[in-house]
Amino acid sequence: MSRPGQTENQTKTQPHAGHFDSDTIRRGALACMPLLPSTIIFGAVLGVLAAQRGLSLGELLFMSLAVFAGSAQFVSVDLWRETIPSATIIIATAVINMRYVLIGASLRPVFRGRPLWVKVTGMHMVADENWAVSMTQKDLANPGFLLGGGMFLGVVWATGNTVGYLLGGGIPDPEVYALDFAFTAVFAALTIGMWKGRVDLLPWIAAAIGSIIGHYTLPGTWSILAGAGAGVAVAALTWREDMDDDSLEAEFAVEGRDAYIAPEGTADITPATETGK
Amino acid sequence: MTQFPDLTSFSGEAVLTILGMAAVTYGMRLGGLLMADRLPQHGRWAHVLERLPGAVLISVWVPSALSAGAIGIAGAAATVITMALARNLFAAMAVGMVLVGVGRCFIGS
Repeated sequence: MSRPGQTENQTKTQPHAGHFDSDTIRRGALACMPLLPSTIIFGAVLGVLAAQRGLSLGELLFMSLAVFAGSAQFVSVDLWRETIPSATIIIATAVINMRYVLIGASLRPVFRGRPLWVKVTGMHMVADENWAVSMTQKDLANPGFLLGGGMFLGVVWATGNTVGYLLGGGIPDPEVYALDFAFTAVFAALTIGMWKGRVDLLPWIAAAIGSIIGHYTLPGTWSILAGAGAGVAVAALTWREDMDDDSLEAEFAVEGRDAYIAPEGTADITPATETGK
Repeated sequence: MTQFPDLTSFSGEAVLTILGMAAVTYGMRLGGLLMADRLPQHGRWAHVLERLPGAVLISVWVPSALSAGAIGIAGAAATVITMALARNLFAAMAVGMVLVGVGRCFIGS
């Protein structure tokens, strides 16, 4: 951070703010509410599959909370046999979840200036859904918000698993109520919230084209990496010196969380130093 | 159900497999963040990192809309348009899902 005054300000407000504030956690959980029906149904579908493949319910719940990544879990449980093909499952998980390197990297503004223990504890419950919801909370992005969404989805996911496992079938087909489309819809809608200006246009088009090409030419979830790679490449190529200002503004907007979580009366410090710059 | 499933058995093999899955997944989550922390805060890399969430998000849903067929593409378009106009996540999701649900009912996917 090169702004004079800004760093000072950060260290002053941070201790009051707290990293995992309970009110922020609650807000994060509420923000993921639209995903409840789909998450519970897909959790139940996974539970049915796990029972067929011979996992115990305990093992399934352990997996759901330790791995916490839906698509990788579906593939892994599908590969599960009496003699577990451990290496295959772990490699498949690594390949499917490779996007988390990018998701983790994009969370930098949320964890900026936070100690390592916050990053270590806050990065576990990061699924695509609560990540996307958190990234679009311009002024609220905060590790607590992210964690709240993650904990909510984790509880719903594990509840779905349990219901499906115990019922062993009779789960409504997610396609009938378009519940499978809920994930597509939430990600498509949240994309709008990530728009930061015309600098996004070309990288986004590249990402769309890259992922479409990947979808038709590559297996599984490689299309995510193809699209993200294309977007990143175009972003790197279209960068110019004079764009720096824009990127600074954008990163600062995320830091605006300080105003949100700061105790009453201290919130106006940030704008004050801003104008005095 | 022919027999009540064993709920609490943990085989060593299963636990080790799950721990392996968890380790690679968490390693990538935290590793990505720590790697990004080492990138410069300004200039080209900061600019690229700013564009990253949108690029990842688009790459997640565009292929899945294509997989859902023509109705999926229409549903995604309706969702995006509703969100751009109304700025309401619930409304945008509802429009997309209703369109897809009704579309599948009448046209089939």
